[in-house]
Amino acid sequence: MSNTLNSRFVEISHLVKEYPNPYGDDFRVIEDFNLTIKEGEFISLIGHSGCGKSTVLTMLAGLNEISDGGIILGNKEIDGPGPDRSVVFQAPCLMPWMNAYNNVMLGVKNVYPHVSKATRKEIVEHSLSVVGLADAMKKYPSELSGGMQQRVGIARAIALQPKVLLLDEPFGRLDSLTRMELQDVIIDILEREKLTAMIVTHDVDEAVFMADRCVMMSNGPKAGVGEILEIDFPRPRNRVEIFDDPKFFEYREHLLAFLEQRSHIKDASRIFTGGKTMGYVEKDEVEAAVAKMTKELLS
Amino acid sequence: MKLLSKIKYPLLKLIDISGFKVLDPPVRLMYGEEPEKQVRDILRYMLLPIVFVLACVVVWNVAGPKHKTKSGEVPTPSKVWTAAQDSTRFKNRENEKQAAFLVEGEVREQELARVKAELLKLEESAANLKAQSAEVTLKGQSEMDAKILPVKTRLDELKATLKLAKAARKEELVALADKVSQGSASGESLIALVEQDAAEYEKEKARLKSINDELDAIRDNPPAAVKKAQLDSNKIADEVQHYKKRIDYLTTGNRSMKVESAKEKELTAAAALKTSATGADALKQAKAVVSNRKKATSTLEQEYPRAATIYWQTWRSVATVFVGFVLAAAVAIPLGIMCGLNRIVMACLTPIISIFRPVSPVVWLLIFQIVIGAFFPDPDEHPLFRFMNHDNNPLAFLKTNPAMIFSACTVAMCALWPALVNTALGVSAIDKDHLNVAKVLRLGFWSRLFKIIIPSSLPLMFAGLRISLGVGWMVLIAAEALSSSDGLGKFVWDEYQNGSSQSFANIILACFVVGIIGFALDRFMIVLQRMVSFDDGSSTA
Repeated sequence: MSNTLNSRFVEISHLVKEYPNPYGDDFRVIEDFNLTIKEGEFISLIGHSGCGKSTVLTMLAGLNEISDGGIILGNKEIDGPGPDRSVVFQAPCLMPWMNAYNNVMLGVKNVYPHVSKATRKEIVEHSLSVVGLADAMKKYPSELSGGMQQRVGIARAIALQPKVLLLDEPFGRLDSLTRMELQDVIIDILEREKLTAMIVTHDVDEAVFMADRCVMMSNGPKAGVGEILEIDFPRPRNRVEIFDDPKFFEYREHLLAFLEQRSHIKDASRIFTGGKTMGYVEKDEVEAAVAKMTKELLS
Repeated sequence: MKLLSKIKYPLLKLIDISGFKVLDPPVRLMYGEEPEKQVRDILRYMLLPIVFVLACVVVWNVAGPKHKTKSGEVPTPSKVWTAAQDSTRFKNRENEKQAAFLVEGEVREQELARVKAELLKLEESAANLKAQSAEVTLKGQSEMDAKILPVKTRLDELKATLKLAKAARKEELVALADKVSQGSASGESLIALVEQDAAEYEKEKARLKSINDELDAIRDNPPAAVKKAQLDSNKIADEVQHYKKRIDYLTTGNRSMKVESAKEKELTAAAALKTSATGADALKQAKAVVSNRKKATSTLEQEYPRAATIYWQTWRSVATVFVGFVLAAAVAIPLGIMCGLNRIVMACLTPIISIFRPVSPVVWLLIFQIVIGAFFPDPDEHPLFRFMNHDNNPLAFLKTNPAMIFSACTVAMCALWPALVNTALGVSAIDKDHLNVAKVLRLGFWSRLFKIIIPSSLPLMFAGLRISLGVGWMVLIAAEALSSSDGLGKFVWDEYQNGSSQSFANIILACFVVGIIGFALDRFMIVLQRMVSFDDGSSTA
């Protein structure tokens, strides 16, 4: 690895995601999304639910097709999933019929087919001990708590020794204590391995505490980058110190203000759709309604 | 004590896996865990069901004999139990006869002496029993005679009076007829009298019949002691018969004895050949030498012609269903996986599945008899059967034949569908998250298939296989009955056809055997299914 860090390590330019709509124009979720990520940088992506945060992340992971625009990672355009990017999903997505060790080994075997058995074993054991599961390698997912399962998920991702770590609301289903523990685990790993990372989150505190830059997304459809907030805290970060820092509250307020402002539009959509919440109506239905409302409000 | 407490939870887990949850409370009670609750559970879920089943048996016992059929009364539980015991005795006797047939040399002589001694004892007790039974019968006969006598006198009296009445009527008729012919009486009155006479005759017949019925009823119901004596003496006569047959198999019917006698005849014929006077005589002796030589070698390979017992039929059915099931699984699982993986394959197979799934096993059996039968024009010489029925093959006792193959194929054809459909469902219903993981981990096709897709669809696959085995077992019994392939189905069919006094009981016995084995097979599959199922902890994080 070169000593000079690449300042344009990941380049997302004019990214578009469209879903086909058989009854009209194709439905654009993401439009003109531009972002450049430095090597070793930690980006948090925040926005209202349904705005397309996860869509951006899965496109970066190669799990979701890119409709237009492109993503360049280390001078190479992304085309499908690759071993240089690994993902931690919201659900741990472990194979219930394999123990923790084998779950991690599953990926290692495929990414390092030519490495000796002993080395592979070392990689797996190392990544499991990094997440604090050295003593639970032989346990099956059903024997592990939710937090421990997610630790295995993280171990599986880092065992591939990726260039970029993608975290898709990784702590969304965990209680706040476990969440804090795992945030520290991730921060430790990134510190040590000097990884580039992107986290999608709903949690404003998490977004500020973990990231170097917070990317706030505008509401969909046709979502893009709304605003970018630089988080100027030194690393390694200490939770207590940061939570006491007045700057932390400034950042927090800023993010909240941005989200608040956006949520007015959302409220309007709720009225428009007869008071139903997002969970009960089709996502595109609501978003179409939002678009219509916005148009009416503006005219 | 320590061991006992150590095995508590493994034991409970075993009970859980095997699906016999009923046994859970007694085991817990044994360990003194919440005795009140366990006792309540035992009462509710163990005792009550047992009482209910017993009540059903009682109803059967009472209601069965009330229904008279062409094959006799519906047998009671005790009759079915007797049939079961008889079947076991029949099997044991076959074993004894087979052993007698095969035994050789000194052992044979010892055995013969032993059996002869036993037969002597048996005959002694048979004679005793016969004397007793004769006494009882005599006594019963006199009892019956006493009952019959008054009825009989009544009958005779009636007959006499009726005879007189008939003669009187005849006279009256003749007299009136004469008058009519002379013109002193009208034809109408004669017709009326003839009609009256016919009506009287009918009445008399009915009276006679009712008394005769009374007599028959007395004769058909000899005293219970007589019945029992008859049954006992029949039983012992049967046993004596069996011992005689055994002695037969130990002497002239014995394999080694047969071989020896053939060899002896060969020697005498050879000796006679040397001293033969005429050419014709010489030719005759030479022919005798050849035929006896041939007989000696063929007898050496001869097997005991074992009669089919219900035990053997059961084994054969289990073997047939197993073969059919394995065939079905071997076809259904790969096809199901392909269907689940690829929508085009699914689209191609859907019409075939939809059309062939509802076809009756009877139709399949007939088709297989024709189509697969073509592969075995000469079954005795076909390598498959020669291999299966070779003396050294441990499965030779199954006597594999084409009918068995047809039945197995029919089972396979009908058992195929549930396994196929469930496997396809299991594969296509795989968690999208797992597939995403596979993509991120860059798994190739084969490792995706074997590490993710197949393990995650195993529970549904086994659920399908379980249904398949149940369907297969049901189909098999019908197929065996139709194809005359030895097995429980054929047993039932043969019993239905032969219609002896115990046939009906045997059919009901077979019904229980089929049910119990079906239940055992299902349990076995449940255990397998539970063993491959995993606690899906990932989704409940």
